[in-house]
Order: sequence, then C-alpha cells, then structure tokens
Amino acid sequence: MTRIFAQLRLGLVYGALSLAAFVSIFPFFWMLVGTTNTANDIIKGKVTFGSALFDNIANLFAQVDMLQVFWNSAFLAIVGTILTLAISSLAGYAFEMFPSKTRERVFAVLLLTLSIPFAAIMVPLFVMMAKLTLINTFTAILLPSIASVFIIFYFRQATKAFPHELRDAAKIDGLKEWQIFLYIYLPVMRSTYAAAIIIVFMANWNNYLWPLIVLQTNDNKTLTLVVSSLASSYYPDYGVVMVATVLATLPTIIVFFLLQRRFVEGLTGSVK
Amino acid sequence: MTGLKLRGVRKSYDAVEVIKGVDLDIAPGEFVVFVGPSGCGKSTLLRMIAGLEEISGGDLFIGDKRMNDVDPAQRGIAMVFQSYALYPHMTVRENMGFALRFAKKPKNEIAQAVNEAARILELGPLLDRRPKDLSGGQRQRVAIGRAIVRHPDVFLFDEPLSNLDAELRVHMRIEVARLHKELATTIIYVTHDQVEAMTLADKIVVMRAGVVEQVGSPLALYDDPDNLFVAGFIGSPKMNFLAGVVEQDTVRLPEFGNQSIPLGHLTHPPAQGSEVTVGIRPESFKRGGDAGLELTIEIVEHLGNESFAYARQSGGQMLTLATENGRSLQPGQRIAARFNPAQIMVFDKSGQRIR
Repeated sequence: MTRIFAQLRLGLVYGALSLAAFVSIFPFFWMLVGTTNTANDIIKGKVTFGSALFDNIANLFAQVDMLQVFWNSAFLAIVGTILTLAISSLAGYAFEMFPSKTRERVFAVLLLTLSIPFAAIMVPLFVMMAKLTLINTFTAILLPSIASVFIIFYFRQATKAFPHELRDAAKIDGLKEWQIFLYIYLPVMRSTYAAAIIIVFMANWNNYLWPLIVLQTNDNKTLTLVVSSLASSYYPDYGVVMVATVLATLPTIIVFFLLQRRFVEGLTGSVK
Repeated sequence: MTGLKLRGVRKSYDAVEVIKGVDLDIAPGEFVVFVGPSGCGKSTLLRMIAGLEEISGGDLFIGDKRMNDVDPAQRGIAMVFQSYALYPHMTVRENMGFALRFAKKPKNEIAQAVNEAARILELGPLLDRRPKDLSGGQRQRVAIGRAIVRHPDVFLFDEPLSNLDAELRVHMRIEVARLHKELATTIIYVTHDQVEAMTLADKIVVMRAGVVEQVGSPLALYDDPDNLFVAGFIGSPKMNFLAGVVEQDTVRLPEFGNQSIPLGHLTHPPAQGSEVTVGIRPESFKRGGDAGLELTIEIVEHLGNESFAYARQSGGQMLTLATENGRSLQPGQRIAARFNPAQIMVFDKSGQRIR
C-alpha cells in the first residue's frame, strides 16, 4: 500500500511541476510558432509551425522602421543602465561608507518613495518635463530613472558585505576615495553590478508607460511601443506582432544568459 | 629609522571619549606592543597613528613631523590588518606592488621590491595566485609582504595573528620577530594576547578604557606592575588576588581562615586596619618559602612539565598554584602552599601598588 501511495504522490508532484513548466514555457513556444503563421492561423489557435515567417518579417519591416526603433530602444536601455548604475551605486556606496544620522533620515525618506506608484507621479513628472521643454526627448526618459531608489538600496545592502578593511588598506596604499571606488570597490563588487545590470537593463528595455507619454513622434518610438501599437491596431496582424515580440525579447534573454552566473552570485552575496 | 611621539592624543565620537589623552614615546627601531582587553582603544589608537581615524586632540609626531592631518599614504607607515585585507581581484604580485604602482614607480623598481619581499617571506611560488587560493598563514605573509614592499618607516600590525590557528600563530610570531630583526624598523603591534605581547615586545603599552595603564619592558611589567589591572593582565595563568586587612606587620586574609602573611618587605607599609589586595603569582608557589597558606585542592591539571592546582579554604576564593613536582597531587588533598613573602604584591583599595 505504502508503495502505491508513494508512487501516487510522486505522480502528483510531477503532474503539478509539468503543469507549471507548461504554463511558463507555452507562451514562448506559441510566440515562436506564431512568427511562422498567418494572423488567421494564429486566431484559429494553430500551434504547429507554418511557412509565413519570411512574409511576417517582410511585413514588419515594411510597416515599421525597425532599425531606428531598435536603435532607440537599445540606446535608451544601454545609456540608461550605465547612468543608473553609475549614479545609484555611488549613492549606495556613500550611504554605507559615510554613515550619519542625517543620511539615515534621507535614506529612510528615499525608501518611503518606493511605496508611491509611478502612476501617482506620472502627471507631475510630465508637467515638469514639459516646463523643461524635454517632451519627446530621450533625456526625459532617462532623467527620472537614473537615481533609482531600489538600486541605491540594493547597492547599500550589498556594500554592507564589502570588507571595510579593504578601503583602509587602499587608503594606506595612497588611493583617494574615488580611486577606491573605481579600482577596489567596482571590481570586487562585479557580481552585484552584473545582477543590477540585468535588473536595470530589463526595466529600461521593457519600459512602456513613461515612453508612451513622453515620446510623441514615430522616429523616437521604442520597441515596446511599436509592439503595443501593432497589437492594438484595428486589424492586428498577429504574425507580425509575434516577430516584433521575438525581437523585443531577444536582447534581455541575451543579457541574462551572458551574466547569469554573476547574477546568481550577485543576489546571494558577491564578496568572498 | 624613525621614532614616534604621542602628546595628549585624544579621540572622541560625539560626546563619548574613547582615547583619553595618551602620551607615549617610541624610539626608532623599537618593537612596541599595545595590549589590553577588547574595547580598550588599542586598535583605535593604532588607526589614529595610521591616519584612518581622525585625531580629536593632541599631537602625533612621526619622526619630527607633526602628522595629525597628513594623508595615510604620506605618513611613511604600512599596516597589516587582522583580516589581511588583500585585494581579492588581484594576484599576490599585484597586491604587493599595488601601492608602488599607484605611486607611479618604474616597473622594474616595483618588480625588484616585490621579488625582494617575496624572498624574505618565501612567497616566490605564490606570486601569481589570487588570495582565495591561499591558506590563512600564506595570506598573512602576503599582507606583511605588501607592507614590506613600501619600505615604511613604521610598521603597524592590527591583531595580525588572531585569525590563525594556535600552531600557525606560534610560527608566525617567530616570523614577525625575525622580520623585525632583519628589517630593523619601528613596529607598533596591537594584540589582546599577552603571550604575543611578552614574546615580541621591546616595550609593552598596557591600555584600559582609553587610558595607558603602564608602559615598560615585558619583564618590568611582569615583575613590577603599577596596579591591579596590569598585574592581572600580564602573566599566565593570572595572578591570584586575595582580599586582606593590614594588622601590624602582616596582612590577615578573612577568606582564608584569617591566616596571615608577613608584609616586612614593603618600604611604605599601609596603615593599620586598611583594606588591601594581595597579589601572588601562581608560579610563586613553585619555589616555596617562609610563608604558607593551608588549602584544600579541588582540581588538578597536569601539563607534563608542570601542574596547575586549583585550591581554596572551604567556601573561600579559589587560588591557582603552579608546581613543577605536582604529579602526585590529588583533589581533596590538604596542602600547605608555601611561597616567599617578599614576592607578594600589595595593592591599595583603589588598585594602586603599595611598594
């Protein structure tokens, strides 16, 4: 009897895991299958590969200036990631290395801002950008995100594990504070940076709402905006939408796989 | 070679004063050990000399130059940390040459200095490894090597052997002593281990709660401590302290059945009836003498070359006795523990030595 129960239990576990795996993987599979099928096939629910891949690609490139759109997204994601990491890691380092009561209070206020949803500050932010005449510029996209409270918090927590004696040793070796940051802290914390790159790059690449509001001409549009507008047209060509979606997904997957090992180290503590 | 002078050096964090005015002279080439219990301020004082902590008051001179506000790198010091503080992303060679590279020294000069330090510390085969591939003892040698490469006027060691196991600690202790002989540089060494202090130092600085309690050679501190704290801190096992009352030429010990010990050797004997503390080192019992205490043994520890007996009078305070021929001692045995009364130390109520 116990053997039957054990097998039943094992069967249930595998069943549940298979279901979870299916739910996670099927959308990606359907996305890939969709790139090869026509809109009609997709609506009918066809889940086998078709022969419309090249038509779909041609249609996408006919409808949208993909190179420009891809460049816009890549520029915003890469520059945004570099700026966010530079500013926020410096801030996290400073909060941890130079503790004071005032800084603790500032930090607490910063943390509180995490509880304010973006939708609540969207309109004031838009008015601000409009007054600065930055509407429809990349600067307006980048500016609000480069000092990311979450990333500052993340770096501050990670810096707690950074041995302070390394900083002392570097001071005795003749390094100034910025040199300690650049030559000691940065290489020692590279796993933390890798994890932060993935988080920030994905957030920037997938950023939808704010670019939707701020970017107003087609030549400035990002990939997420294009995918969304393709999918919400009067008669969406889902084959084309799927090709665009695959293109939109690829860079984050590539970044993740390149930094995967460091990402895990970064989240589990990077200083050995 | 360079000496140091500290004049009224203070350190406070807001209202809390942790170093309360330290005056100290360190001669060129001297090996000075700061010793004291955790939190006594010895590491803080070392960090102030290094320039890693600001000096709140007083003056620090390294050589003849006042160094209070000088950058750590310009003070002519090098420091070895308890956790080694090796840069994990650099090889041993890069770690050791880093300061010189930063000081824009020519490459061949750096290589020469690194190789010389590697030779002294036998680090040659490890030069291309990273710190994570080294054992604790090797890491410590690299940390010392990194300090040597800079040819400092003063070496600062902050509890460098605390993270090593007992055997390696003894080995490294000898290495540090050898190094001092070879380099003939001024060394300031912080430890809470009084054995390290006794074996390494030319001069020991005993600290407590931010104050220097006594400065002197290891044997001077052992033979002639100024107060209860130093007497208790220097020497292992610890000195026995017995509460007593002065009566004529003797001190009566209430906790030991009112037995008396003669006080004839004191130049300035305390007043009749005053309460004092009598200090007797465990090893004083080895040599025997005219005075004695009737005690019952409770525990005996045999170390081979000597034995420690822990004994007391019923219900009273426990005493530690060291003996060289104590293998036959048994728990429960009654003994007359004999010692030379001239070797006892007497301290007044405030803990100051009465001589």
